[in-house]
Amino acid sequence: MAQAAQHQRPLPQGKEALLKAYNKRLKDSVKSMVDNFSEIMKLARVENEGQVFRATQADEDNFEMTVRAANMVRAGEALMKLVADIKQYLILNDFPSVNDAILQNSHLFKQKQLECDRKLMTLRDDMAADLYDLEEEYYSSTFK
Amino acid sequence: MSNSVSVSVEVPLENLVQEITYDGMELLQQPLTMSESLAKLAQRIDFCGKDEEGGAGSSSAAAGSTNENGDVKEEDTVNGEGGPDSNFKTSQSWPWESVRNKIRSALTELSVLGDILTIAQKKQYMVLDPVQAEPSDTKPPAVLMYKKKALGAASQVLLGGCERLRASMNEAKSRPSLATLDFHIELLRLRQNWRLRKVGNAILGDLSYRTAGSRFPQGGIFEVTKAEDDTEEGMADALSTSSQSQPPPPKPCSALRVTVPNELQGIAYIHVHVQKDQDTLSFANIGLPAPAPLDAHWQQRLEAAQNVLFCKELFSVLAREAVALHSMPIPPLVVGNQITATLFPGILLIIGLCHSITGKTQSPPAVSSKLDHNHVLEHSLHQLLREVHRTNSHIPLPHPATAPIGISRKRRLGGPCAYDRQTLLNMTKKEGILEEIIKQSQHVILRLRAMYFLDTLAKEIKDPLLVAHWASINAVTHSCVRITLVSSGYDMCARTQLVIHIKEKSLKAILKDGKAINLSYEPQELKDLLLCQIAIHQIMALQSLSKCLGWTVLSSCSHLGVGNCESTGNAAGCMLTSPNGKRILAVRSSPQAFMSAASIQVFIGYPPNAKYTTQQNNNNPIPMEVDDTSAATLGFEGMDLAAGVRYKSVRLDKLEGKNFLNKMEMLMAVLADVS
Repeated sequence: MAQAAQHQRPLPQGKEALLKAYNKRLKDSVKSMVDNFSEIMKLARVENEGQVFRATQADEDNFEMTVRAANMVRAGEALMKLVADIKQYLILNDFPSVNDAILQNSHLFKQKQLECDRKLMTLRDDMAADLYDLEEEYYSSTFK
Repeated sequence: MSNSVSVSVEVPLENLVQEITYDGMELLQQPLTMSESLAKLAQRIDFCGKDEEGGAGSSSAAAGSTNENGDVKEEDTVNGEGGPDSNFKTSQSWPWESVRNKIRSALTELSVLGDILTIAQKKQYMVLDPVQAEPSDTKPPAVLMYKKKALGAASQVLLGGCERLRASMNEAKSRPSLATLDFHIELLRLRQNWRLRKVGNAILGDLSYRTAGSRFPQGGIFEVTKAEDDTEEGMADALSTSSQSQPPPPKPCSALRVTVPNELQGIAYIHVHVQKDQDTLSFANIGLPAPAPLDAHWQQRLEAAQNVLFCKELFSVLAREAVALHSMPIPPLVVGNQITATLFPGILLIIGLCHSITGKTQSPPAVSSKLDHNHVLEHSLHQLLREVHRTNSHIPLPHPATAPIGISRKRRLGGPCAYDRQTLLNMTKKEGILEEIIKQSQHVILRLRAMYFLDTLAKEIKDPLLVAHWASINAVTHSCVRITLVSSGYDMCARTQLVIHIKEKSLKAILKDGKAINLSYEPQELKDLLLCQIAIHQIMALQSLSKCLGWTVLSSCSHLGVGNCESTGNAAGCMLTSPNGKRILAVRSSPQAFMSAASIQVFIGYPPNAKYTTQQNNNNPIPMEVDDTSAATLGFEGMDLAAGVRYKSVRLDKLEGKNFLNKMEMLMAVLADVS
């Protein structure tokens, strides 16, 4: 329910733009991979007609394929970068989980505090009782 | 189907109207004759499509050119015959002109072709050779090779990229135990503990206490970066130098790198001295002395930086208050990183800020005097600043919606209740941290002094035992000690208790009878009070003992107004008479010089008819040294009961017994038998 309510809440302008940019980057990268792959496949076809010299054509094809393969690799790395960016964005802007963590920490520390207080109180009581006896003994002894 | 009506379209039989004369006669156009309509139709014939086909056919059949020319001519003549009305007026010069033009151009082309063929046949000027086939058809394997090579290069690039991606994916998975190396997990942990936000491409964090209510202007911005950049370079270096079998560089334990501003690096602490004539009475260090080197874990480094910030804020607040503090007789002095305040005459409180950027402490004396390290002042300073933060950030509720935020409830009532300026000024007066810490230090000093003094007094005075019980629960500026004076061996019947409250600058003693006495911070006053109490205690103990032995208390006074004038306080005294009334004991206990034997004087009073001189010769089981002393000098002559009584002083130190009460018990036991 809470998540649904959060989804319904309108996002700020900048964040919405950022999310759209992430979406666009994803689509662009995937599209680049597909396009480059299909282009490479097209280049692999042996064609009869050509305006330019065959060797030139072959070198051009070679170069174009290399560049398109590199483009595919770049798109893959861009996807990795996108994943990293989205992770980072989620980590930095996921306020509910941060609040949970803070709440958990504060619970933990409060519990520790209570525990320490209790132990200190016990220790204090013990020490006070012992100290009373020790003071009594010390001031009554001849070794003071 | 019944709806379908067949409509017949016919050309109207009427001819077009050419002209209407003035008398209304319509001159109709004459219908076209057969030849006219043929010529009109012939103009519409498009010879272009057929002309090309005709050209192609003529080129293929080059041999019979002359015959064809003949045919064309015949056709021309036929066409010429077919058009008797050749002078029919159209837009062109005559209707068959286009036909004639086409035929003429065809004739020209065929003539040229015939000439070429004629020349070629002679083989003198021109030779016809068959055309070579296309070279592309001859070399398909080479193209395939090229394509294959290009695809191979592309696949190499793809495989290389794939390998790199896989390596980066496997890097995290292959080391599940070292999950701390993952940047995002580290970032998540950092985010859970610190405030982070993204500015541009950088991740910035804030370690200041501003959200907790601090108003310290210095910010605590730190930057979070990925430490993998360096490790990749390191790995690249390692790869490049792997042939030389060099050990790889040591990897950082974290994938995160935290960049803290220069002014917050290193460690800082606040040291608190209480100095009396170059002797350090109390010592406290604030801040963690543990150094945080640059390659430490980010959590430690951030905590160290936050601690530096906290110490700086604390010191700046203290310094600001020190400058503004005028209520003290000697205002505090701020010199550099040190604040000096006077607690008591001759006793200074020194608060200093130490900050070393290099992370190496200049070996403070705390290391040597670790044992008497006092955490109270450290804790108090921490607590005080946190309290300030808390009051800054927590607005007391309930708060009206129309009132400005941040003012207290009492001040809000200032308007409706019409407070005057003085009241409002008094309301704004707030005790600062420095005043509070000075008070606490004064209290600490006073308590230490009282402890020391009680201990030495208990050491010096053996006769009534002085037992001090310190309360285990104290306020920061108020502690309490219960002192019991008890005579050894007579615990039940001889016991005097008093309570001393130790405050900031004064002491308050509450005596056994409920009297409250305020004392200043001078220890001499406490000493005088305690000596008086001891003197009274001896008399009281003697009285209760005498009751047990059947003696009668004739008079008792805790503050005798007679006798030698005491330098401090008054002597206490009492007179006792034996059960048969034959002997009187007069005891005077003086607080002065209590440690000496002369502090308590005991006199035996003889009735006028008694012969005390004989007693000395009777070989009493308890030998007494009795001096001749005039009662007048002792201050007993004024008493009615003592009229005519002669007093002899008893030398207590010659009596047997552990303490005064013991001796008195012996004495009373002996004197009770005297008849």
